[in-house]
Amino acid sequence: MAVGTTTARSRAGRARRWRRASQAAFLLLFLYLLLWTRQPAPQLAKHALFFRLDPLTGLATMLAARRWIGGVALGLVTILLALLTGRSWCGWVCPLGTLLDLFTFRRARAHSRDLPAPWRSVKYGLLTLIVVGALAGSLTLLVLDPLTLLARALTAAVLPISDALLEGAARTLYGVAPLRGAVSTVDAFIRRTVLPAQPALVTANLALAALLLLVLASSAIRTRFWCRYLCPLSGLLALCARVSVVRQRVDAAACIHCGRCARACPTGAIIAEHGYVADVTECTACQECVAICPTGAISFGQRPSATGVWPYDPSRRQLLLSLVIAALGAALLRGARTLAAPSRWLLRPPGAGEETLLAQCIRCGQCVKVCPTGALQPGLVTTGPEALWTPVLTPRQGYCDYGCSACGEACPTGAIPPLELAQKREMVLGVAVVDRTRCLAWARQQVCIVCEEMCPVPNKAILLDDIEIATPQSGTFLLRRPVVNEQRCIGCGSCEFHCPVEGPAAIQVQRAEVAGTIAHRQAVGSHGAL
Amino acid sequence: MAQMTRREFIRRLTALGAAAAGATVLGSAAGCAPQPGPAEPPPAPLVGATPTDPATVAPPIAAPKTAATPTLVASRAATIATPVPAGVAYLAVARGPSPAALVEAALGAIGGIARFVKPGQNVIIKPNICNASHGFEYASTTNPEVVAALVTLCLGAGARRVKVMDSPFSGTPEAAYRVSGIADAVQAAGGEMEVMASFKFEEVELPLGLDLRRLSIYQEALDADVLINVPIAKHHSMAGLTLGMKNLMGLITNRPIIHANFGQRLPDLASLLAPDLTVIDAVRILVDHGPTGGNLDDVRLTNTVIASHDLVAADAYATSLFGLAPEQIAHIVGGAKMGLGTMDLRAVEVAELAV
Repeated sequence: MAVGTTTARSRAGRARRWRRASQAAFLLLFLYLLLWTRQPAPQLAKHALFFRLDPLTGLATMLAARRWIGGVALGLVTILLALLTGRSWCGWVCPLGTLLDLFTFRRARAHSRDLPAPWRSVKYGLLTLIVVGALAGSLTLLVLDPLTLLARALTAAVLPISDALLEGAARTLYGVAPLRGAVSTVDAFIRRTVLPAQPALVTANLALAALLLLVLASSAIRTRFWCRYLCPLSGLLALCARVSVVRQRVDAAACIHCGRCARACPTGAIIAEHGYVADVTECTACQECVAICPTGAISFGQRPSATGVWPYDPSRRQLLLSLVIAALGAALLRGARTLAAPSRWLLRPPGAGEETLLAQCIRCGQCVKVCPTGALQPGLVTTGPEALWTPVLTPRQGYCDYGCSACGEACPTGAIPPLELAQKREMVLGVAVVDRTRCLAWARQQVCIVCEEMCPVPNKAILLDDIEIATPQSGTFLLRRPVVNEQRCIGCGSCEFHCPVEGPAAIQVQRAEVAGTIAHRQAVGSHGAL
Repeated sequence: MAQMTRREFIRRLTALGAAAAGATVLGSAAGCAPQPGPAEPPPAPLVGATPTDPATVAPPIAAPKTAATPTLVASRAATIATPVPAGVAYLAVARGPSPAALVEAALGAIGGIARFVKPGQNVIIKPNICNASHGFEYASTTNPEVVAALVTLCLGAGARRVKVMDSPFSGTPEAAYRVSGIADAVQAAGGEMEVMASFKFEEVELPLGLDLRRLSIYQEALDADVLINVPIAKHHSMAGLTLGMKNLMGLITNRPIIHANFGQRLPDLASLLAPDLTVIDAVRILVDHGPTGGNLDDVRLTNTVIASHDLVAADAYATSLFGLAPEQIAHIVGGAKMGLGTMDLRAVEVAELAV
């Protein structure tokens, strides 16, 4: 067979160009949807597109909640894609995969030799852990889903950093008087189009950024390290890829055994011993082999009849081990959950019941991203390890705005239910409690009722206890002191957020004794905090 | 795809990490809880305001004549001391069903928009858009028709640019602008809504401040050719009432420092940030549970607009709508004492108009 002509080579390169274009488009779409997950925004639900397409989160959520959840059913499309075309999601769509491709290293590329075979099984092990955990009602390990991992890191670290850099630059340049008009215009333009609204501080920013950085840094060991060995979604897609229709094929007659394809393959799916036919459970259809083959011997198309079995297919023993570990882990977490009463500081988004949240929260961080005040934060201390990075309401960081119901709209799985604004205003998030030993009015007889001023509830949920104080300097004055009306307080935290006392506020929202709506609380007769 | 050496990667990673650490530090500094005010002796006696039915409003109590023209040096504040042109009212009150007509009439009585806005000038209009929770019928934010009328008048007077802004204490600016109805009204009238950028706040001296001497204020407001203050008249638990002087708080970041002593610190702020024109929207007023509101039972349709160059006088007149006297509001008394304006409305020409 003659060596491929220039036309044949460029034809081969075309498929790779399509793949790169596809990767760019999906990465930009992912970034755009994430950037514009903000309030107010029409059709917030559409911004969770990637999480809805993710079959791993969809499967785990439906297993944990024991019901069909329409919101994440689009994952079936991805499964179908994998059944037809193998792990093309990994090569053409996955935004984390695209980022990993952007961060490849020449040194790592030179390591065409794979890590020992058992490494490949780790992703199947993680997948098993996630599935068994989900069956036991726990979605904790979904923090390792690639899309949620990337989204959380962007929300918590990258976007706030970009915002800080932009603001820093604007502040510096604004100091130069002749530039003021230009700085104003450019900043306003960027805020309207690319980097909207000042992102609130996310408390877990370092941890979330570190996780992404670790994944990216692992590319120094082998290209697409994460995709090869760790990513549980790739494990799921790999299982589907076993029956895929469209695969990489090698024309044995044209192959000159140069080995360039094996070196070029980012997931190390091609080895000489298998005649340079890519392992279908590892091949991401990136077309690198097609482009680099000097004779044009490689192509993608309908699979040939014979396919090989690779040495790192998970064995029965490994599967059993994963199942046992998963079951034990889930049982432990479950036990911990039932033993410990929820912390009195554990506050959840409006309408989010604890059981539903734990069974349906995929840790995507959409609610954290959309929350306009930074009230919702990825939980850790108050939630315990099982509920790691599920959303908690932290009034000292941000109050729950009375005019907003965005979190429920943005949540793809319904862990936070979508509520009309009027409904959301009826939900009890907690109850405010005044610490009379620290409140400026109660403890120091200072004029301060900022909590009452900021309380957004009509007719106010903070009453004023007025007394006349006599002072030597200025005669008598009226001292107004805050008292919480526990029948009306919805625990939004506006009071706690605005309280001017140093450190923890002198009025703090605590978990309510009875969850649900204001009306329900009145009916049940309880109005206290835990 | 880009190929990188290990050195390049380490350099990039370090840069990223340093930026991350830096931003985290920046972010945590910005996220600090607001500083409490310094321990203060209790302010001048402020009897708790008890709103009564405006139908039984008592006339303003005559107060001793306030001091004559003060020695105000800051450029913005000097406008208060500007003498009133001949044949023009000191303060105008217009009553009637159409907010836009009220604004025009009231302005006309105090010399027309041409007295305040010259062709080619940059105008900033500062309404009250303090929350994103309720529409304008709840009287917690300025009436959009009043704001739009002012935008139209300013553009008609030849203003180069009319910007409208506020920084809400509840909700995002974009949401507040939308929910209040002001964004739509202003844009239809040809004005611009501006989201107040954090980098435009700068700490400045308050040379005339008696209690407060330095404060971080929005630069554009200080530098604007014309600053028009358009508050809505509301009950306020701490300050008694929130009117024109209190409305200026939307142009600063450090609210807690004012809270510590409304009576003196609001006038201190106004001494530098004096608006050229104050138009009090009293089309609807909030008589209880302010400044947030939320209950239509607390709203009174008083169909009134008050306009004056004198912030203190406008506020003083507005107290009567709540059945109160200016002497009962500590920051009005403080402002008059400082010479920012007069609260003795019997000493000046007040034009009352039925529109």
